[in-house]
Amino acid sequence: MNNRAKVIVLVATALQLLLMGGCMKWEYGTEEEFSAAGRGLFITNEGNFQYGNASLSYYDPTTGEVENEVFFRANAMKLGDVAQSMVVRDGVGWIVVNNSHVIFAIDVTTFKEVGRITNLTSPRYIHFLSDEKAYVTQIWDNRIFIVNPHTFEVTGSIECPGMTMETGSTEQMVQWGDYVYVNCWSYQNRILKIDTRTDKVVAELQVGIQPTSLVLDKNGKMWSITDGGYEGSPYGYEAPSLYRIDAETFTIEKRFKFTLGDDPSEVQINGAGDKLYWLNDDVWDMDVTAERLPVKPFLKQRETIYYGLTIDPVEGDVYVADAIDYQQQGKVYRYSAEGELVDEFYVGVIPGAFCWK
Amino acid sequence: MAAPLATQAQEEPRRTIPIKEVTVYGRRPMKEIGVQQTKFDSVVLKENIALSIADVLTFNSSIFVKSYGRATLSTVAFRGTSPSHTQVTWNGMRINNPMLGMTDFSMIPSYFIDDASLLHGTSSVSETGGGLGGAVRLSTKALQNEGFGLQYVQGVGSFQTFDEFLRLTYGNKNWQLSTRAVYSSSPNEYKYRNHDKKENIYDDNNTIVGQYYPVERNRSGSFKDLHILQEAYYNSDSGERFGLSAWYINSNRELPMLTTDYGEAAEFDNRQREHTFRGVLSWDHLSSTWKVAAKAGYIHTWMAYDYKRDAGNGIMTSMTRSRSKVNTFYGQVDGEYYIGSKWLFTASVSAHQHLVESRDKNIILQQGDKAIVGYNKGRIELSGSVSAKWRPTERLGVSLVLREEMFGTEWTPVIPALFVDGVLSKRGNIVAKASLSRNFRFPTLNDLYFLPGGNPDLKRESGWTYDAGLSFAVGREGSYSLSGSASWFDSHVKDWIIWLPTTKGFFSPRNIKSVHAYGVELEAELAVALSDEWHLGMNGTFSWTPSINEGEPMSPADKSVGKQLPYVPEISATLTGELSYRTWSLLYKWCHYSERYTMSSNDLSLSGNLPPYYMSNISLEKRFSLAWADLSLKGAVNNLFDEEYLSVLSRPMPGINFEFFLGITPKWGSKK
Repeated sequence: MNNRAKVIVLVATALQLLLMGGCMKWEYGTEEEFSAAGRGLFITNEGNFQYGNASLSYYDPTTGEVENEVFFRANAMKLGDVAQSMVVRDGVGWIVVNNSHVIFAIDVTTFKEVGRITNLTSPRYIHFLSDEKAYVTQIWDNRIFIVNPHTFEVTGSIECPGMTMETGSTEQMVQWGDYVYVNCWSYQNRILKIDTRTDKVVAELQVGIQPTSLVLDKNGKMWSITDGGYEGSPYGYEAPSLYRIDAETFTIEKRFKFTLGDDPSEVQINGAGDKLYWLNDDVWDMDVTAERLPVKPFLKQRETIYYGLTIDPVEGDVYVADAIDYQQQGKVYRYSAEGELVDEFYVGVIPGAFCWK
Repeated sequence: MAAPLATQAQEEPRRTIPIKEVTVYGRRPMKEIGVQQTKFDSVVLKENIALSIADVLTFNSSIFVKSYGRATLSTVAFRGTSPSHTQVTWNGMRINNPMLGMTDFSMIPSYFIDDASLLHGTSSVSETGGGLGGAVRLSTKALQNEGFGLQYVQGVGSFQTFDEFLRLTYGNKNWQLSTRAVYSSSPNEYKYRNHDKKENIYDDNNTIVGQYYPVERNRSGSFKDLHILQEAYYNSDSGERFGLSAWYINSNRELPMLTTDYGEAAEFDNRQREHTFRGVLSWDHLSSTWKVAAKAGYIHTWMAYDYKRDAGNGIMTSMTRSRSKVNTFYGQVDGEYYIGSKWLFTASVSAHQHLVESRDKNIILQQGDKAIVGYNKGRIELSGSVSAKWRPTERLGVSLVLREEMFGTEWTPVIPALFVDGVLSKRGNIVAKASLSRNFRFPTLNDLYFLPGGNPDLKRESGWTYDAGLSFAVGREGSYSLSGSASWFDSHVKDWIIWLPTTKGFFSPRNIKSVHAYGVELEAELAVALSDEWHLGMNGTFSWTPSINEGEPMSPADKSVGKQLPYVPEISATLTGELSYRTWSLLYKWCHYSERYTMSSNDLSLSGNLPPYYMSNISLEKRFSLAWADLSLKGAVNNLFDEEYLSVLSRPMPGINFEFFLGITPKWGSKK
């Protein structure tokens, strides 16, 4: 072969290679049919921030079957970026996808979308007042949005005192009569009281630094756990605490102090409303009537850091999520109320929150 | 293509592919004994004014370029390591961001770089420490023109993209002056089919009656980037050389919305602004057996990140406002001394003093006062090396480099690097190379001090790398040249730093992983004069880079041990081919990345899917020689096959798009 012929062969080979480039096309998803009857547990997997790989898992506690990525599989589209929380109301699941600025409503049997709320700033949690009114808390906004879940529209907002857009942070909500209480977390130290008749903040209560979560027990007591901030924070750094707050009088009844450096989070309550659970390396439980923190955990940690926690409101089983390295499918461990391992299953990336159907 | 015009002003501006003289084994530079490097010539660097160095590396090297979108953060990583394992120098000064450790290559216009080379693995130790993956060496250099010169190129592209380039030069026997400016802007609203979301069609009862994948525009992706580069070089007649390079960047870029974002683009403003000045003064003294060089430099970077939202009253209100300032002072002294033709000794000491002020979040304190979350820190980084290079015979070269670094108050142990090369066959110039080195990388300032999450207890990362390879070169000057190399590498990195979420809602870095990266890199280059008027040039690279997590499992459920690191392709390949005929030239560029896992367990998921892709760009250029000027016209098609592809999850990339360039080089006053 002379030089020119060699070149022609080379060029032909190159052309062949590049033509390979022409035939690859993206495959779109197909919609799968689901029919998830009976009780079940949804797991919202946050996914990695800014990667849009959040997902929804569904676990049937009766059969022990788990289905992952059910939102994608049922709808042939992504759930979005950072699935933060989920609530079920009247057969519809409301999934708050924080950095996608959306709340998806899905049928809890078929997992198919039935609608969505947009025009949000950075939603965290949704709390229903009626079929036509719900509150949505947010971070990076000093407003709690009022939405109409029927029309999927934002209908108004509640101005929160003592915060700007930049420092805005409202989180979990519980309701006591006509009042909704909300904990303010990021660089905050307060619980707000909102009158749902006027949609106004009517009172606030100072607790420790950064209350992370809020639940209501059977006696009308709210429980909030603070994380105490972090070392070097200009906002302050202190020992975290568990607070018992009377919902009627909106006063702190008792502060249970942890040790500086402890990392408590995710205070949860069982179905009967008489037992608290939280994470602090191990899984801890405490009767709501207790006057001091327990000395022995409910479950010792399994050489990992637990990220999510829930209690089966019917069976009393305890579910803890291990996000492992936050870059692979996390694993959920199910324990009986006595602390025996019942089941374990892989879910999605960073399982952060649970929701019972 | 305009740049070669500058050096071919007086003749018909033919497009010629340089057919290099084959480097004969006996003339291998002593300084490059055993070194695995990829050099980019000006033809590659000056191919298109709209290209950044990220674009050049994507299509011309085997290293992995991760792009978050068009005119958006682009990082590069060698051999399965991370972007902060790539050290980047500009005229000798390290330009990695001391807060983040990495370098944004989309911010480096290829038209500002006259010399670029990649130092793979161990080879980076001869230039700098910390390059656990390797180093990218970028520099400017004098044109060697006499008289005045001017070059202007105007580019117009799809999505209302405008690129302008201007260069003024003056040169005489002793002085070379050059001023370059590039301005690029675009609303950057390219269309793409969004397969990550669907739009709903509702009936009157708010029931969904239909859904579709929308065709969207890239939202919030506009950019305006200005770069100015001033250079002055002075060559005395007695072996003294002085140089000044000063580079100013003013960049204003929106950060594009994710494909999964349901927010309204008009209601949000997500923007990054940067003002950076980099300047290096250099002095070299050359004599027949020794050389002394000194450099002094300064970097100032001001960066602003703003995330705003319409608060419902039409006023954009800040949600996140962060500012950072970096001042870096740099100094370096190098010496080289030859003893006969068999020994070369070198020594180098460099210092980088960083002063960083990071203000990340405005907060209201418990008492109601305002405060800022951030840090204010400085760090001195010293690096010194000595080397001895020995070539006892024409066929054999041995080089030993010993480097030591100090960051803050912490010293590394001695970093040794040993290089050997030998000629296996004079026929075909077959040379074998081997090297091994230890290396360390210190945590970045954000790793240590960022609030919240910075971890002052982090250890430095450490690694061992082994390289071995073969290269050949054949050819006949003016007729053809063919060269190629194959190298194998194996490296182990311990205490690899990664940022992980904490239960407190923020991320914090930890020394977690041990990584074993190994693989093969292949390169080949061909240039042929098919006839007097037809020239062909081809260049190809291929790399296979398994990068395996060999750390301890993080929990009993951990499935990542023994698996490929996420977002690191196992295979990447590039191919470029250029065919020229008289004043015409056709350039084809192709690259391929294999599938990248998005999970450390290498499980595949629907929600995190980065399929392999092949990208093809093509351009055609015609040159004209008029009495008063040389002109060039060039049309380019990017993403020729309109491929839907992703480099990073949820970041849309443009489909087929077009660019047109007009270059003018007036002939007044110019003589060579």
